[in-house]
Formats: sequence, C-alpha cells, structure tokens
Amino acid sequence: MQEIIQSLQGTVEYMLMILPALLRGAGFTLALFASTLVLSLPLGLPFALGSIGRNPIFRFLSRFYIWVFRGTPLMLQLFFFYFFLPKMFPALMLDAFSTALLTFSLNYAAYFAEIYRAGIESIDGGQYEAANSLGISRTRTMFGIIIPQAVKRVIPPVANEAIVLIKDTALASVISFSELMKASRGAVNRDVRADAYLMAAVIYLILTFLMTMLANRLEKKFSVYEVGK
Amino acid sequence: MSEALLKIENIHKRFSNTVALSGVSLDVKEGETVAIIGPSGSGKSTMLRCVNALERIQSGSICLAGEYLVKNNAKSEAVYADERTVRKICSNTGMVFQSFNLFPHFTCLKNIWYSPVHVKKENREEAEAEARRLLELVGLSNKADAFPGQLSGGQKQRVAIARGLAMKPKIMLFDEPTSALDPEITGEVLHVMRSLAETNTTMLVVTHEMGFAKEVANRVCFMDKGQILEEGKSEEIFEDPKNPRLKEFLSKMLTVN
Repeated sequence: MQEIIQSLQGTVEYMLMILPALLRGAGFTLALFASTLVLSLPLGLPFALGSIGRNPIFRFLSRFYIWVFRGTPLMLQLFFFYFFLPKMFPALMLDAFSTALLTFSLNYAAYFAEIYRAGIESIDGGQYEAANSLGISRTRTMFGIIIPQAVKRVIPPVANEAIVLIKDTALASVISFSELMKASRGAVNRDVRADAYLMAAVIYLILTFLMTMLANRLEKKFSVYEVGK
Repeated sequence: MSEALLKIENIHKRFSNTVALSGVSLDVKEGETVAIIGPSGSGKSTMLRCVNALERIQSGSICLAGEYLVKNNAKSEAVYADERTVRKICSNTGMVFQSFNLFPHFTCLKNIWYSPVHVKKENREEAEAEARRLLELVGLSNKADAFPGQLSGGQKQRVAIARGLAMKPKIMLFDEPTSALDPEITGEVLHVMRSLAETNTTMLVVTHEMGFAKEVANRVCFMDKGQILEEGKSEEIFEDPKNPRLKEFLSKMLTVN
C-alpha cells in the first residue's frame, strides 16, 4: 500500500515537473492550429468557387490545386517546403513555424474548398431561379443568398476537419517545430519514461473537446432560421 | 387594339431529345389575366419559364414592354440580348414558383425588400415600408419578422407573391402557385391572386385550378404537346370548347374535381 502511494506521488511530482514544457508545446500547437484556420478557412473559398465556376481556366487551376494538395501526404508537403524548395530558391528559406503554417494552410484550404463546394452545391436550385427572376446579380446571389445558407451546412464537416487539424499539427515535429508532440517525445527520450505521452493525449483531448463545443455553439447560432423544420 | 405588353412569337424549345415547345405564340395585354391550362408535360410551365429566361429558347422571339429579351436572327435562331438587358427585363417580371423558393435565411420582410434595395437601389427605409404594405396586402402583416420555415405553405406562397410584387413588375408570372398546397389552403392564395386581377395587375398564370381560370382569367389558353391548341375568352373555353383534346381534358378535370 505504502509503495503504491509512494510511486503515485513520484509520478505526480514527475508530471508536474515536465508540465510546463508540455504546456509550452501545447501553446505552439494551438498557435499553429489557430493561425492555420485563420488562413485556410478563407483561402478555401476562391478554390471552391473556381472549381464550380464558369471560367474554364479558373476551374482547371482550382481542381488541379485541390488534386495536388489532397493527393500527396501532408508530411511530404512539409518536407518539400522545408528542405526542397529552399535548396532550389534560397530566398524561400523560412523558419519551422512559418513553413508549417504555409504548408498546413495550403493543404487545409484544399480540403475546405471541397467542403464548401459540397455545401454550395447542396443549396436548392430554386434559390438561384428565384434570385434570377428578381434580377439579383450573380455575385450577390452567391454571397447574399447561397453562401449564407451553405455556411450552416458546412459547419459540421469544417469542425471535423478542424479536429483533424489539431492532431495533424503533430506532423510539424518532423521539421523540428517544437509543438506538443515534439515536447512530449523529448521528455520521453530524455527520462526514459512514457508519462509525457499520456499527458499529451489528455491535452489533445482537451483541445478537441473545446473545438467540438465551439462547433456545436456555431451550429446552433446559424440554425436560427430553421425553426420550423 | 392596344399593343401587347408581352409578345411571345413562334417560340421553339427542346431539351436534349424532347421537344417542349413547338411554335408557341401568345400576346398578353396590359391589365389582363391569362390562364394557361393543359395536361402535365404539355409545356405550359416551360413556356412561362422562357418569359423570364429561366429556360432559353432555340428559336422565336419574346418581347416585354417593347424590349426584346430574345429575337430571331436571319437564320431563325434565337439570339438573346446581352446579360445586363436580360437581367433588366427579368426584373420586370415577378415570378411565383410552385415550390415558393423563398430565401429561408431572411425574415419575410427582408425577403420582400431585399431585391428592391439591392437591384433597384431603392432607399432601405422606403423599401421596408413598402414591404410592410405588401405584407398587409397579402394578409400577413403579423409575419414580418417570421422566417419562412415558420410559415404554412399558403402563407409562404403569399409572401412569395408579395416578394414578386415588390419589384413593381410589369407582369406577374405564376407557375402552378397552388399545386404544392393542401386543397383547403389553396383558397387563401387564389384569393390574393383574384384581388390582384381585380386591380388590373397583368398576370400570366399556369394553373390546374379550373375554377380560378374560369372565374378570374380574362383569357384562357389550352396547351398540349408544346402547342397552344385553343385560346379564347374563359367562357368560350369552358362552355364551348372546340378542340377535341380540350374537350377530353375538361371532361377529365370535371370528373376528377
């Protein structure tokens, strides 16, 4: 009995000792996550509109972009922007955070573009017909009538992607960005005990839980007008 | 005889491998209510949708208030006006759909004032006041702040009519406005349409409501297989039909109703 309590006490003391390092890592994880969202959420829209638009050049470029960024591993993209590109063009040398932010934003924009496209295409054709017969311009139809309705429908899949993103940030450790995964691996390798992984798991779970809460709240906020359904 | 407000001349429309309209001509004068009846698949909705360019014809001409939406070239191929003109002519038509197509994320009031403000650049306050007046006209002044999802079908359709009227169109187009409604609430929509007809709103109405066509319309057209087979004053059409297919259609409608 005594022994168990002592070993528990030791574990707690150890965890408290490495906690600041892990929290710093979590801070970097959060920073990468949030700034990626800020960049990729809007960046997805032009690709979504391009891929369903009338202009064949924009359509091709958008679909090509989506194909490339969805069709290759995120880790490979990280390596490409961190190692390969600066070798060809030394001016494009960026630090680990900037490279991760750039890669994640470009990659997630491709996924968001597809989600937006699905959302926009799910809006009933009658909405376009009504807007047309009222003389509403194409741009205003898209931004005033169609997209506001699509927003509500894309919140669940976007939140889903955002949760994937929280976990994908761990990949940035391969280009030595000191986020949560790298911080916990550091502790594990140094101290030869795996407690840090457990703590990292708990921190990831807390982050994804918060994200889920936020998504639910947004969904509720955007469903005001669907009272009767 | 005064010049027609809407002039449809010899229009032809085919979808990939079916002919929807083969040579339809129709004039609608200002202040007139014209009903189009006929079996389903006869092309009557398609004809109506051609008037505001929701469907594009291959040959023929359509002219609203002296402006050509589409006109034949020398080879009898339909050539449309430029996009700006098409949009302008379409905003002179008010369309009421079978499935309402209200904007669900706007309140009823905003559904009505949205296009006057954004298309006609009307003053927002005036447009809102006008929207309230229109809601009153269709008997829904208490629903100004409700969302379409909170309304019954009949109420939705009345809001849709008000939305169409808000653009002060030269002609109102109705595409089977009561077909999606329960029989007991078609009355409230028909009542609004009747009062519009009585105040000399120009209306082109595709309908299965024979009672409405008979009592409210000045003229009735019977369409079948993409053509207008008979056209005349409503009394003539219903009491003295000449075309055998019209006779057959009417007798079927009467036994059903």
